[in-house]
Amino acid sequence: MPRVRPVEQLLWWMAAVPATAVILVGFGVPLLQSLTASLVREGHLTLANYALVYRLYGQDVAYTVLVATAGLTLTFGAGIPLAGYLRLHHAGAIEFLLKVPLFVPFVVVGHAMRIFLAPRGTLLTVLHAMGLVSADASLGFGHGWLGLAVALAWKHLALIVLLLMGAFRAVDESYLEAARGFGASTLRQIWAVLVPMAAPSIALAAVLALTSMLASFSIPLMMSRGSGPQMLMIDLYYRFGQHGDFGVASAIGVVSYLLASGAAYYYLRAVSR
Amino acid sequence: MNAHTVAVLAPAKSHRLSLLGVAGRAALAAALFGVIVGPLAGLVVWSVAERWHWPALIPQEVGLKYWARITRGDLFGALTRGVTIAVITTVLALITAVPVSYAAARRRLPLGPLVLMLFLLPQAFPQLPVFASAAVLFYRWNLAGTVPGVVLIHLVGGLVYAVWTMTAVFRAIGEDLEEAAINLGASLTRTFFHIALPLATPGIVASGILVFIYSLDEFTGTLLVGAPYVTTLPVYMYTASLGYEMQIASVTALVLMAPGLILLLLMERFLRAEYLAFFGRL
Repeated sequence: MPRVRPVEQLLWWMAAVPATAVILVGFGVPLLQSLTASLVREGHLTLANYALVYRLYGQDVAYTVLVATAGLTLTFGAGIPLAGYLRLHHAGAIEFLLKVPLFVPFVVVGHAMRIFLAPRGTLLTVLHAMGLVSADASLGFGHGWLGLAVALAWKHLALIVLLLMGAFRAVDESYLEAARGFGASTLRQIWAVLVPMAAPSIALAAVLALTSMLASFSIPLMMSRGSGPQMLMIDLYYRFGQHGDFGVASAIGVVSYLLASGAAYYYLRAVSR
Repeated sequence: MNAHTVAVLAPAKSHRLSLLGVAGRAALAAALFGVIVGPLAGLVVWSVAERWHWPALIPQEVGLKYWARITRGDLFGALTRGVTIAVITTVLALITAVPVSYAAARRRLPLGPLVLMLFLLPQAFPQLPVFASAAVLFYRWNLAGTVPGVVLIHLVGGLVYAVWTMTAVFRAIGEDLEEAAINLGASLTRTFFHIALPLATPGIVASGILVFIYSLDEFTGTLLVGAPYVTTLPVYMYTASLGYEMQIASVTALVLMAPGLILLLLMERFLRAEYLAFFGRL
């Protein structure tokens, strides 16, 4: 490393200031403000906001965790075999198809899934035309937790498969050759060789997807029906926008930070290493 | 017996193309095509459906009535506003991100890892509560409901993409050339402008495209900070779908999707390495 003149060092520091300032002003300060606002109600330092969150939205916390967990299960249930298959066999068309959801905006996914899974949506129309369901049938899960989980899984599948494929490609070919030598099938090679050897990367991808699903807003907003349990971010949006209740909205926010914090910590540590 | 001996002794079973393998692959591709394209196909049909009663498989009346609306009124306004905001955001993101990324890549930033970590926060934490809080602050600073306010919120998310891709890009360019130039007496700044920057240009373009697409698609921040005075396409689409204007929402969705899909095709051909490097880091 060549010696750096103090003037130039100073210039580099100054060059880093604008971008850092944007993140601090646009994210850092609001993040801290939401933490403090959650502890204040009617000018007093109190936990009343949290008591309200517990009473009004306790069920929604559980619902959010349920949707995110179901979405995660679907994503990895499909993603691991797909990424493994693509590692073992070259299939360009499948790889290309899988990247499509990565470039579809979240709001579009929400709207498309709403049309697709609606009680009289595209999916049911096609099933009816194929003679698989009757005309008076209705699709039960379009608005519920399963519909949301399907939509979230659809959006996250591409990124997860890309991340897993990267991890699987790093596994040495000789292990796979050995497994094939013993007659291991594709599925067995994935399960017994690729998955254990890429376990840390799989965990990181899972953490990334879980954080994103817990905090999902646009997809549930586009798909929500307005009754029954809701995702936490929808509660927060209405509490903030319609009730103008910044204190409780912030407390919901802090609960969501806590839900995501384990994941966020693991993610930050793994990525910045 | 080690792994290599096993591999040599065993017949190369995987290279034999069986009928079952081909059929299996075709079935997998078909199933995946249905899963990926199915939900999106509904958008296309709805965008041209002028009359569609259940349970008909195709609409009874098809036409371009709703597509014609792109050329006038709100939708066009939302589109141009969104593109303008995305262009400003991209330019600002590139100008501010290049120096940080370069300094971070060359490890010349004091507390470098900590600064880089700061640029991951918006990715690791839920954005909505933070943006709601930002909306309150922006209101106080007279930034709420203004284009500069929306640009600032877009910059927060955009910088995450820009800084992380560009740090990867600068790291991928070897330091040897720059060291040679410095040994010959060039200053760090001169080395940066004459060697590092030209070499990094393709990567900078790639990250610029990512920021542009991000800004064009951004919904949460725009809704909280900009609405109802600053409307971009995603917010317009949300409003349209609230009134159950399925056709308008579907046309908007397709317009919104187009830049991303064009980008996907471009990236397949030109920007593959950078793009994968970025998502690998994520």
